[in-house]
Order: sequence, then C-alpha cells, then structure tokens
Amino acid sequence: MVLLLVIVLEVILFNSLGRRFLSGGNISNVFRHSVEIGLLALAMTPVILTGGIDLSVGSMMGLSAVLFGMMVNSFGVDPWLAGLAAIGFGALGGGLNALLITRLNLPPLIVTLGTFSLFRGLAEALTKGAESYSAFPKSFLALGNSDVAGLPAQIWVFLMVAAGIWLLVHRTTFGRSFRAIGYSAEGACYAGIPVARNTSLAYIIAGAVAGLAAVILVARLGEARANAGIGYELLAVTAVVLGGVSIFGGSGTVSGTLLGWVSLAMLNNGLTRISDYRIMDQTVASVARELSGLLTGLLLLAALAIGAWTKNLATRRARGQSHPENPPRSSPP
Amino acid sequence: MSRFSRELTVAGALGLLLLILAVFAPNFYHLQPFISRLTSQMPALVAAVGIALVIISRQIDISIGAQLSMCAIIASVAAGSGLPLGAVILTSMGAGVLMGALNGVLVAWVGLPSIVVTLATMVAWQETLRLWQQGRMLALPEGIQWFGLSQAAGQTAVISVSLTIVIAAAWAMKNLALGRFIYAVGSDAEAARLAGIDPRRTTFGVFVLMGVLAGLAAVLNLVQSPQVQPNCGDGLELKAIAAAVVGGVAINGGRGTLWGVLLGLLLLANVNPALTHFHLPPYWEKAIQGLVILLAVLADGLGRRKRPR
Repeated sequence: MVLLLVIVLEVILFNSLGRRFLSGGNISNVFRHSVEIGLLALAMTPVILTGGIDLSVGSMMGLSAVLFGMMVNSFGVDPWLAGLAAIGFGALGGGLNALLITRLNLPPLIVTLGTFSLFRGLAEALTKGAESYSAFPKSFLALGNSDVAGLPAQIWVFLMVAAGIWLLVHRTTFGRSFRAIGYSAEGACYAGIPVARNTSLAYIIAGAVAGLAAVILVARLGEARANAGIGYELLAVTAVVLGGVSIFGGSGTVSGTLLGWVSLAMLNNGLTRISDYRIMDQTVASVARELSGLLTGLLLLAALAIGAWTKNLATRRARGQSHPENPPRSSPP
Repeated sequence: MSRFSRELTVAGALGLLLLILAVFAPNFYHLQPFISRLTSQMPALVAAVGIALVIISRQIDISIGAQLSMCAIIASVAAGSGLPLGAVILTSMGAGVLMGALNGVLVAWVGLPSIVVTLATMVAWQETLRLWQQGRMLALPEGIQWFGLSQAAGQTAVISVSLTIVIAAAWAMKNLALGRFIYAVGSDAEAARLAGIDPRRTTFGVFVLMGVLAGLAAVLNLVQSPQVQPNCGDGLELKAIAAAVVGGVAINGGRGTLWGVLLGLLLLANVNPALTHFHLPPYWEKAIQGLVILLAVLADGLGRRKRPR
C-alpha cells in the first residue's frame, strides 16, 4: 500500500519536474532498461524468503553473458540455443551455491560472496580481462530492442517469469515451504518439509534466471562483456526489501517485489530526466544521475530501518512489554 | 591438539609455497622487492585484523574497502590543507570511527542484518566518492610519503606498526574483557547476555574498532605512494574476509585467532606473486581468490561436520 503511494508520488513529482516522464515512449523505456534488475529481484525473492541471500547473481550474469557470447561468436552456436545453454549454466552456478549451502550447512552469505568473486573472476579470465563479443544476428538483437504488441519484447519474457515465480511462491507447496523454512528451518524440518531440497531449488532458480537476465542484457546492449551486471545484486536486494520481503526470511510476496522494482526503476529514470533546474553550476540532471546510486543505498537502509521499527513495535505491542528482545539472526542454524 | 590445527595447516601450506618458490623462483627472495611486496600487504593485514574481530562477533562488514577509500581521500584532503602528519592520521582514524559507528548503530541498536547494512553503506561511500572526486587522483604534499622518512625507514615503520597491531589485538582478544566479550557474543549472544554482557554494546564497539583500523589501514596505504586514488580500497573487503576465513576464523562466529589471520593473509598474498612467477596470466586473480574463499569455508564446514554437536 505504502509503495503504491510512493509510485504515484514519484510519477507526479517526476512528471512535473522533468520532461516527458509520463510519455508512452519513456514509460516503456523505463521498463526496457530495468528488466534485468527486475528478473534478478524476482529470482532473489524465493531465496530471501528461505532466509538466505544470493550475492552472486550479478557475477553469474557476467559469466553467463561471456559464455553466451563465446558460444555464439567463437563456436557459431545458434543464439537461441546458446541462450538456453546460458540459462543452464546459470542453473549450474546456482546449483553450486545450493550444494555448498544446503548439503554442507555453510552460511549463504559467505558462500555467495565466494562465488560472487569466483564467477566474475572466471568471466574476466575467459575474456582475458578485455575481450568482448558483439557479432550477434539481428533477429536475436530484436529481443532487446524491438517492440512486440506495443510493449518492449523483453517485457513479455519478464511477465512470463513473473507469472512463473508468482505461481511457484503463492500457489504451490514449494512456495509455502520457502516461507516455512525462512520462518524456522528447524520447525520446517520437523513438519516434514525436505528443507535441503526445497532451499536448493530457490538457489538453482536464482542462477537460471540470472542466466536469462544475462541473455536479455546482451540482446539489449548488443555486446557481451565480463562486466555485465556489476552491482545488480544490490539493486535486486533493494527492490526485494523495498517490496516488504523480510530480509530475515519467512514473509513477503512476489507482488511486493514487483512494486519495489517499479518504484526503484522510476526513481532512477526520473532522476535522470529532471533537467530544467540548476544547482551550483551543474544541471540537476547530472547531479541527479550521479545521486541515484547513493539514493539507492539510502533508500535500502531507510526501508530496512522502517521494517525493523514496525516489527519492533508489533512485537512490543503483542507482548505488552517495553523491552524488545534482540531480533532473530539472519543466518540459518 | 585440534585447537590450533587450522593455524598449523595454513602455516604448513605457506611454508610449502615459500619452499617451492625458493627452489623454482629464487629471485622471489631478492630483498628489496620482497620487502616492498610485504609492505604493500600491510594495509590489508590491518583491515583483516578488524574484519576478524567483526566475524568472530558473528557479524560481517563488506563496507571496509569503501571505508578505506573514504578515509584515504579525507586524509589526503586534510594533508593538502596543510595539517601536520599526526593530525592527518587522527583525521583518517576519526573518519573511520564515524563510518564504523554508523554501521554499528544500524546493526547493534536498530537490529538490521550486518550484510545488508554494510552493503548499503558500501554503495553509499563509493557513490559519495564518485560524486566528490569524479575519479580524480589526489596528489599528496611533501612529508607524507613514508611519513617523511626515507623509503627503507618508511617501509620498516609500516611493517612494524602493522605487526604491532596484530600482536596487540591477539593479546587483547585473549586477556582483555572486550576480547572475551567478542568471543562470547559471537558464539552465543543470548548466553552472553544472560552472563551479563551487553551484546549490543559489544557489537557496536566491534564496528567502531573496525572503522579505526580501516582509518589506520588507509594511512598505511596513503604513505606508500605520492598520490591517492579514490578507489584505492576496492576489493579490500574480499581480500580481508578471505584472509580471515582461510586463517580459521569461523564464519559463524565465536572462533578464530589473529595468528591464523596473519598466516592466512601471508598465504593469500603470496599466491599471486607465485602465479606471476610461474607465468599464469594475472586476470585469473579474482577467480582464484573466490576459489580460495570457497575452499576455506568448505574446510570449515567439513571440519564442523566431523565434530560431534
């Protein structure tokens, strides 16, 4: 509810400050340029629901993009087939995370921090730190740059993934188990939920969707590089947390994530469109564009603080006492 | 016996690596480049001491690279405005205290998970630097490089300050109340609370200490060259975390020694020079760093599995 209000406010604000914010062209532009982050946010939602986190998705995008570019440019593989393979590689990477996290009981944070470095490093090593791939057929690039039925082509892919994740989280027993695991992994185990298997699924999906996001990014930019998706993991986590998914796991909705993503995408686009005002010799636009990263960080902190604060209030009210206990830990037992 | 097994393993691996280098690449040990390499690792060592304390208290801080960059730039601006060396050092550490305190307040008192807090502050500092410096390098005034001493004396000073920090921190973790509190809070915050320790104050203190050490590491980094880059701390967080984890600091908190961290850092620091001596291209560096982190947590996880719960 609050987020809807934020989005409406953003639209009003940016529409009055900037030029052509609400034009159809710009709106489809907003979504075209943030589909990849939206996909990562969707994929991150089940992972965070289980009480975990996946910091490696941005690096996985880089690795998938490089593998994809290699397959198409150096080995002449059909781009659509290579796209499927890139998704497969993503799933494999997610599987590595899942293996380490669920079978060996290692904390998701450190495992994915390690693969964050490993995947990006492999991407850099494969391209010798500098090479990029850019010979792609026009029919493939259309995925990133053309419109289908009035919407950017990649939006249709995004909507399908969104529908899939929504069904998974809200209409299947898997989805229920994600929340049960995030609420209490031990409790879920006693309730007969295959905790390791279902948690693995969340990480594998995250990896596969990161691979898909890489393919879409390459189609939009027309170039596959090792630096694809740097910093996207933060934006994805921000969108998820803004959308009201508890970072400790156990509660949250896919529609919340989508709203968080829309408000974030509009913020970034809107800031770059404010151009008629000047502060200290610089147009506001150039300042605003550079501020968007900083604002994202601050927005995330604010969303978290408000979340923790309301949770504290709620528990205090429920217990009827004035001294709140320490919040639960983020890492699983 | 199993108490120091990790430290012994890492020491063995380090010894083996150094031995291999001694046999196959003896010019690795030419005194001047050897000392220079060692000196260039000292800021990371100081940061690794800080991150070890953070991890032992069962938190994480991935903003330390950005903190170090911030401190370095603030310190060099202070130096540029003509402050004496002592004041520059204090400025850098002061900036570190403020940034550490922000993390500490958000983690300890607001109760947010440290990973997200420090992810957000990392981006906030990086973006602040980008906005402020636009990637410019800052030239330092005379008398800052090598603390205004000769290069050899400066290198000795950097190395001895860093080793003093390690020794002091190792002693404090064993003998001071705060050190014992950090272990206690890291192994079980609730039990620590029942034992009369305030976990929130301890956690806050650890983040502030991390900031101080990041500020000091920034100074140790600053004095090694005539100018500062606004991204000089990039990647430091991974390096420091890797050193701590490889050195046997348990990622679930409560366990680990600073001697292990020292050995872990020296091992990691020598992997890359060893690779170049054996003609492996340098762009494998990040992948190998990630692999080493994974192997270390893997060893940690398997070790934990064998022990009865």
